[in-house]
This record gives sequence, structure tokens and C-alpha cells, in this order.
Amino acid sequence: MRGFVLDQGLRIDIRAVLSYNRSGSLASRCRFYSNKMQNKAKIYTVSEINLLIQSVLKSNLPAKIIVQAEISGWKQQYNSGHCYFLLKDESGILPCVMWSSNFSSLRFSPEDGMSVLATGRVDVFLKGGKYQLYVDRLEQLGVGALQLAFEQMVRKLRAEGLFDDIHKKPIPTYPERIGILTSESGAALHDIVDSIFHRWPCVDLFLYPVPVQGEGAAEQIAAAIRDINERNEKLRLDVLIVGRGGGSLEDLWAFNEEVPARAVFESKIPIISAVGHEVDTTIADLVADRRASTPTKAGVEAVPDIRDVLAALSNRQRILNNDIKRRLELAQQNLKTILASAVFRNPLLPVRNREQQLDEFVGRLVETAKELLAVTRESLHAAYEQVVKIEPHLLLAKKTVELNELRNRVIAAVVAVANSKRMQLTAQENRLAGLNPKSVLQRGYSITTAPKTGLLVRTLEDIEVGDFLITELSEENLIESRVTKK
Amino acid sequence: MAKNKSQSDISKLSFEQAIKELTGIVEKIEQGKIPLQDSLTQYEKGMALIKHCRTILQKAEQRIEKISAEENSEDR
Repeated sequence: MRGFVLDQGLRIDIRAVLSYNRSGSLASRCRFYSNKMQNKAKIYTVSEINLLIQSVLKSNLPAKIIVQAEISGWKQQYNSGHCYFLLKDESGILPCVMWSSNFSSLRFSPEDGMSVLATGRVDVFLKGGKYQLYVDRLEQLGVGALQLAFEQMVRKLRAEGLFDDIHKKPIPTYPERIGILTSESGAALHDIVDSIFHRWPCVDLFLYPVPVQGEGAAEQIAAAIRDINERNEKLRLDVLIVGRGGGSLEDLWAFNEEVPARAVFESKIPIISAVGHEVDTTIADLVADRRASTPTKAGVEAVPDIRDVLAALSNRQRILNNDIKRRLELAQQNLKTILASAVFRNPLLPVRNREQQLDEFVGRLVETAKELLAVTRESLHAAYEQVVKIEPHLLLAKKTVELNELRNRVIAAVVAVANSKRMQLTAQENRLAGLNPKSVLQRGYSITTAPKTGLLVRTLEDIEVGDFLITELSEENLIESRVTKK
Repeated sequence: MAKNKSQSDISKLSFEQAIKELTGIVEKIEQGKIPLQDSLTQYEKGMALIKHCRTILQKAEQRIEKISAEENSEDR
């Protein structure tokens, strides 16, 4: 028997299938039938043949099969959500089923004529008597390449740090001027504008129209971001919203390219991305400072709710009022306390107190002065009395008599002493005159001196013959002589 | 005169600046660290700021302008 060829070039040998079945339970049942009706052809029930086919397929086909084909007759069951369709090429069709659990993770809407890669396993649907591909995954053909490019770009820019939180600029709390970068004709513009004005009507919006899909869109978006940044001194935009509505991956592709990603990253103005549907994540979303999941959510990300802000303002006003009221009451209370104090009840009291004190001082001063005066007067009087008692004139007369007496006595004493001394002097003079050696000269004695020796001549030994002698007589008369004989 | 000056200053503030200043005033008065006279002045300023904020919010002109890329065309 000839084998048949599948897409994958897999050959299935029917003999191999038969040999497998000999060892299986189904095979033994087949033998049972064949034994019973030995001469006739084998007769199967429908279920038996279906089961046989199922087991043949199961054991000979790979567990995972990938088929490239075009979708045809796409139908999604409304109740169950399961999808039924055909895969076809020029020469054949393959019935397919995709359970709703698998379908929900699809990021595109399959349509007839769409080229896809379907991944799954082939099995027999026993009740329908047909084999079909049970599809686990469905990829739009051609999109796979975009997806790959997307993932590569994510990896590249992430490695460069373009998605890092550290680079995320804060969105101003109360923006006054918001730039919107999107297509002038798209529904996204209205969604963004409405979502902002609904929450924050006091803002000025500035539309910068750019194409958001197609050739050159990415470059124009990037150029627009740079242009706005360059002109922002004049434009004074607080925030920039870059967005577009939902679409296929190709439609959103401008927001996955490197050029706008870098422009978003370099923007000095904080950027909010608002691209596609909830499930779409673009490179622009990753690099933007904040992401709105859809254009309709842009307002929530970009602006506060005016109702909240008004409520907060009223709250502030109430707090301020309460605070100032409390502060004033407190001040009033303080003032009352101060006014109630003694100082303010009788403000002159300290002065009066001082005055009284002063009066007391003055009184004491006068008293003291009077006392002092009296004491002084008294002591003066006593002194006078004493002075009077002394009788100075009598004292003076007495002292004069005493003085005269003393003087007389002194004179008498001095005279007596002088007389006595004079008599003593005369006596001594007389005695002295008797003692003078020269006095004998008057009685005829003389004194001879040898001028050679200067000595008195007493003995013969004192002189030599020939010596000159000087002899003193009375009245100091001198005679000179020479020794001629001894 | 000083009051007039401060009020004309307030009308020039952006919403964000006004809110920031208002927050500062509320804190100052709450803490009670400034003299009474100052707190009264600050209170008046706070009320003026609130009024200014409300005016901004109620303006609600909902303006959308279009920025034309052409006026900068020589850069391209």
C-alpha cells in the first residue's frame, strides 16, 4: 500500500499501523470478528472504524502540527465562544476548531482570507465523522515578523535604559496647556479632547496634526515631538499626549518604531502615550513618561478631576476659616485675661504705691534730721557748760604767776651756778700757776737746753766741751753760752 | 496699597503656583507659629488665592488651537 504525504513531509506507513494494532485491544477485537466470519470481508461498526482511524492518527502524527494556510468560513459560536473555520490552500481544506479559551488570548480578529500559521493537533471528531485541526495558537502571517521586530526593539531599548523609571518625568498636577499629537481626522482626537475637558475644562488644548499610520508616519511623529520641544518656549505646553485609536499591529506600527521612541525619550515636555486598545502595548507606551491604556483614558492620566479639585479648595477654605477663627478667639481670650489683670483694673496703683513709699521716706528723713539737730544742740550746750566751768581768765593769771616764779628761780639758779663755776676756775688758775715750771724762773732758777740734742741739760753727760747751750731765764729771756770746761 | 499689589500678584499666578502658595499658607496658620497680625494677612491672601483658583477653574473656555507645523518649515 502506498503511504500518503502530509504538509510536513511525514510519511505514514499503513503496514506499520496494522502491526501496531495487532497488539492493541481494538486489534484483538478485529481478530475476533475476522475469526467468526472467516470467509467474509471484515465488518466494522461506525464507532469502531472511527476509533480505529483515531488511534491510527494519534499514533502516527506528531503531537504538535503547524499549518500555514488561509482562513475560510470563519465562524464564532455566539454562546460558547468556540470558533470553527477551515484552513485552505489551492487544492484542499482542513476543518479547524479553536476553543474560546485559546481564542481569548488572540491579539487580532481572524477574518476569511487571512493568511495564518495555525498550531495544534489533528484528531478525529467521532460524532462528526471527520478529522480536524484543534488549533491552540493562531498567528497572523507576516505579523509574526513584526512581532519579532517589536520584541527585538523592546530588548534593545530596554538595555539602553529608555524604559527606566528614573527617566520618567512627572506629569504636572494641574496642566494649563496640553499638546495633542494625533491625526486630525481620527476618532482618537475626540476621545482625548472629551476625556480631558470632561475632567478639567479649564485647560487649553493644542492639536498638532500628524499622520498616525502608514509610510513615514513614524518619522513625522518624531519630527513633530522635536518641533514642539524646540518651540516650547513660545508654546509653553505642560504635557504632550501622543496617541491614536485601536487597530491592527500594522496600524499601530508607527508607535513601535525606534525614531519616535527616541524622540519621546528625549522630549523635555512630559509625554503621555494613548495608543490603541487596552491590550495593545507599543514601544511608545513603554518609553513615555506615563501611559493611558486608550485615548479615552488620556484625560485620567493627564489632568485632575475639577470636582475633586473644587472640593479640595472648599476644604482648604474651611480649614483656613476654622484656623483663623480659632486663632482670633484665642487672641481675644488672651486679651480678656490681660485686661482682667490687676494692672489694667487699677492702672495707677503702682504709681500710688510708689508715692506712698516716697512719703514714708520723706517723713523718716525729716524725723531723722530733727533728731540729729536736737542731739547736736544738746552736746553743744554740754560743751559750753564745760567751757564755762574751766574759767580761762583765772587760769591764765595763775599760770602767769607760776611762770614768773619759775623764771626767777631759773635765773637765780643760773647765777648761783655761774658764781660757783667762776670760783672753781680761779682756784684752779691759782693751782695751775703754782705748778708752772717756768714760775720758778722768777725765783732765780733757769733752764738750760742743749740745742744739739734739744734736751734739758741735767748731767755732765748731757754736754760736751765746745757745745753751745741756751739758758732760759724769767720773762722768756734767753742767753747763749759755750762749754769751756767741765 | 500693599494689599492691592499682592492681589494683582495673585492674579498672575498659575493654578499650580496658587495651590502651592495656598498650601504653604494653610500650613503656616495651622502651626500657629506666625504672629496674629501676619496670620490675618496670610488668611486674606489665602482667601484671595482660593478665589483666584476658582476663577481659573470656572473659566472653562475649552479652547483647542491648532499648531501648524508649517510656520517652522524652514527647520526641516
